[in-house]
Amino acid sequence: MTTINRVAVIGAGVMGTGIAAQVANASVPVVLLDVVRGGAEAAIGRALREEPEAFMTREAVRLVTTGDLPDALALVAGCDWIIEAVREDVDAKRTLYDDLAQVRGDRSIVSSNTSTIPLCELAPDDPDILITHFFNPPRYLRLLEVVAAAHTRSDAVAAVEAFADVMLGKVVVRSNDTPGFIANRLGGYWIDTAVALAAERGLAIEAADAAISHAFGSPRSGVFGLLDLVGIDLSLHVTRSFDERLAPDDPMRSIARPIGLLEQLVAGGHTGRKGDGGFYRLERDASGKRKEALDLATGTYRPSTRSRGDDPTSAEYARDVVAATLAYAEHVLDEVSGDPAVVDQAMETGYGWRAGPFTMLADRRGAPAPRRPPRRPGIISLRALRQDAEPVRRNRSACLWDIGDGVLCLEFTTKMNALDGAIISLALETLVLCGSDGFRALVIANEAESFSVGANLAGVLLSANVGAWNQLALGVQAGQGAFAALRAAAFPVVAAPAGMALGGGCEICLHADAIQAHAELYMGLVEAGVGIVPGWGGCVQMLVRMTERHGHQGPMPPVAEAFRVIALAQVSRSAAHARELGFLRPTDGITMNRERVLGDAKRRALELADGYRPAAPPPLRLPGQAGAAALRLSIAQRVAAGEALEHDAVVAGALAHVLSGGDADVTTPVELQAVYDLERDALVALLHQDKSLARMEHMLATGKALRN
Amino acid sequence: MSDRVVIAGYVRSPFQPAHRGAFTRMRPDELGGRVVRALIERTGVDPATIEDVTMGCAFPEGEQGMNIGRIVGVLAGLPRTVAGATVNRFCGSAMQAIHSAAGAIAMGNGEAHVAGGTESMSRVPMAGFNFLPHPGLVERYPQIYLSMGETAENVADRWGVTRERQEAFAVSSQQKAAAARTDGRLAAEIVAIDDVVEDGCLRPDTTADGLAALRTAFRADGTVTAGTSSPLTDGATAVLVCSEGYARRNGLEPLAAIRSFAVSGCDPEVMGIGPIQATRKVLERAGIGIAEIDVMELNEAFASQSIVVIEQLGIDPARVNVDGGAIAIGHPLGATGARITGKAASLLRRDGGRFAVSTQCIGGGQGIATLLEAIG
Repeated sequence: MTTINRVAVIGAGVMGTGIAAQVANASVPVVLLDVVRGGAEAAIGRALREEPEAFMTREAVRLVTTGDLPDALALVAGCDWIIEAVREDVDAKRTLYDDLAQVRGDRSIVSSNTSTIPLCELAPDDPDILITHFFNPPRYLRLLEVVAAAHTRSDAVAAVEAFADVMLGKVVVRSNDTPGFIANRLGGYWIDTAVALAAERGLAIEAADAAISHAFGSPRSGVFGLLDLVGIDLSLHVTRSFDERLAPDDPMRSIARPIGLLEQLVAGGHTGRKGDGGFYRLERDASGKRKEALDLATGTYRPSTRSRGDDPTSAEYARDVVAATLAYAEHVLDEVSGDPAVVDQAMETGYGWRAGPFTMLADRRGAPAPRRPPRRPGIISLRALRQDAEPVRRNRSACLWDIGDGVLCLEFTTKMNALDGAIISLALETLVLCGSDGFRALVIANEAESFSVGANLAGVLLSANVGAWNQLALGVQAGQGAFAALRAAAFPVVAAPAGMALGGGCEICLHADAIQAHAELYMGLVEAGVGIVPGWGGCVQMLVRMTERHGHQGPMPPVAEAFRVIALAQVSRSAAHARELGFLRPTDGITMNRERVLGDAKRRALELADGYRPAAPPPLRLPGQAGAAALRLSIAQRVAAGEALEHDAVVAGALAHVLSGGDADVTTPVELQAVYDLERDALVALLHQDKSLARMEHMLATGKALRN
Repeated sequence: MSDRVVIAGYVRSPFQPAHRGAFTRMRPDELGGRVVRALIERTGVDPATIEDVTMGCAFPEGEQGMNIGRIVGVLAGLPRTVAGATVNRFCGSAMQAIHSAAGAIAMGNGEAHVAGGTESMSRVPMAGFNFLPHPGLVERYPQIYLSMGETAENVADRWGVTRERQEAFAVSSQQKAAAARTDGRLAAEIVAIDDVVEDGCLRPDTTADGLAALRTAFRADGTVTAGTSSPLTDGATAVLVCSEGYARRNGLEPLAAIRSFAVSGCDPEVMGIGPIQATRKVLERAGIGIAEIDVMELNEAFASQSIVVIEQLGIDPARVNVDGGAIAIGHPLGATGARITGKAASLLRRDGGRFAVSTQCIGGGQGIATLLEAIG
């Protein structure tokens, strides 16, 4: 069996660079080569400037070795997997494979990232070559299509698939060796049909995009926005490739695309976002940025307008696109895969559809959705569990699941997984359940896009506005009490956050014995942004973490580090970054594949369960008033420099008081409860401040921070 | 005259910008040790004849802790019989080390001392790792802890120094330093550290337009920017302070004699004017006037305070910092005092003239000055 410890990527275009970055994100060394002198080096520089970020950390960047071809070709000698991502030219690719054969190791594997050329044309008889088709951007789009032939080395395919799954976090889908494979074949038909019908019927592109994204549950960019993103020139290339390779009677070839308009756009440099705009463009003038949209009939730009795409014309348009697309899916099913569930998975993870075509068809016909392929070992799915089992407990905001081997899973079920009283009370129930009925560990996890966006601000605001101060103080205390009880429980608690874990959602994780995070973790104590301080133990647990890290340096460094992270409301840009910021401990785990997070968390919980005793926190030796004075001086400097507002200083001053331990003296360790109390009092006091309430109201109304 | 105290040798490391320069990963004690070693080698004196190594350091903790003066002497390979001490007067530390050495020699406490300073602003932050101000004092007299940048703004405010004048001053400092480097006028004092042979802070292409585009660093509506402030710097310095007789017996040609020195206090919120009072004191103690000063090395903590000091003292700006100042060259806090004093002494030798002053402002509201007189 081939194992993959080192990877090479040939071709430092957008895709090649993005793939190399994701390999490095998995802490695997990677070589990135390009024929342009200095091209690979420059591509890394570009990737570091562009959003969304391709790299998770600076350490990952250092794992990339760049080089120029042909001189640096020998660098692939030590690589187990060589990914070819050069231009779509059969001869160029085959020449490269011949060159690679001279230098690469015996057991190494070569794969092509081609999106259009079948394997039978690329490598008709080479057992070491397969196709691995990534989607852009490779860090964020999870689909990987794999194409192998009967003669392809099966151990090589298995090694690539396992690596892509566990290390790169991919949903690996096997496709037949057909043009465009699964996702682009169907996706291409979907886009071209949507464009052709919109042009034919004279729809505004905003209306078309809104209607399509509503009908397919796909990203809000719709099809025209998507074309701008991938490049209209590239899309034309793909279309031409389909025309060359598909049977003459394939329905793809009879779509009435507005070819003249598309070619005119490309000729004018309007290739999309990478060019001078595409279907949409941003115009800058004296009054700022203005979004414009292309009129499909005239080929000229006009100011863009918002559309919900729910007028009768748009709705009928969307229905027709859906009908044609689903019919095409049935038409090509046997050719591209044969398994409707695989096709569904490809469209959901490659194009972001809410449900794949065969699930959509089943829904329309009232039939059960196609049976998903059996789960690979190590994967636990609450979605699958929900189909076959009832939760152990449930209330309006959360469920408690038995995920086997004596492990319970607490799942939030509110909108955006905002935390409320019902979630707190179910968390408290676990304290009774766990330890009885054979349960011996708790995992806190869910499968939503966001683990939790924190406490329900609207409820807090309502209480503050009617002056229900006692109730607020009790609410703060209830959350603190529940989280502290989880921390002190006789069983291990593992939090498994993915996506956003903000405010209270972060605080519940900080109280766990261990965190098993998805690599895409956006974690932060963001309370300061709405004019308050963390009140559910976030201050306490960050002090504990920073004392573990910096306590040996004296009383001030742990306080200053916790202060920086909380006062600036820093949010991690990945799980690895969350570790740098101090939310995750060095012993906490990171899982690259979203589907594997819960399984990994359960395994961690079971490891902790044998002979479990709650860890004693380190003694907190806090600097007291001197520390608060030091932090207030630094805040005053930031206010003077225009980097912070007066009310920021009020909030940060309150935070400084909490983190410094109030009247603590450095000679005497502070009880955690004393800091919990300081935190609660500071929060309730800030809720009396009009400017803090205004910040919360503004956030609720607009989703943006108010600078007052 | 044989009992005058003289400066008989001066060396320094290249000055490198903190956090991005060549010494980011170099410990300050190691850097100081190499510089002192070089001073001994260049002067050729018998290290056993050195009484004491006094190192200035503004934040003597962490890698700069544990009496770094003693550590530096051992790292420099001096015999164990040579003593070592650390002094802290913030930015005036290394100049204070020279004063302490000179005072000791005058009192008969040995004939030869090494005095200097070392500071890694990369590795030990300003205010140290555990800034714990007296909470009561913060309430009653917060000026004592005011950031240096804000004091520079206060000086600009109170004495009406416009942003344009500060920037013209900074451009001039950069140009003088760049010319000095190009003409090889800095090389003699610099000791190569591994393969680092030159200063790293200089920005020779600085222009008034470029500086005008920077945003203010300390006060939103202020006038002081990073371009008109001295940069955070890593560096080490050392001079040989000895009796004139010792120098003659060891075949050394002294650079200058130390004629008088002084320290003074002022309001902390305008600490940048500290050099005015300190300089007036050294002049008065020697019975001379400012017109007799041929060479002045004024530490450019900020352009605003430098301009006010030059104006208030009434010295011809052409005599000040002829090879550029700290805005261009850098300011490793506790090491700077030996650079400007060693430099002033060297300039008397190189360019002629009779009297030289080195002077600097000090956080917390102080000034320090040294008056040097040519040998001869």
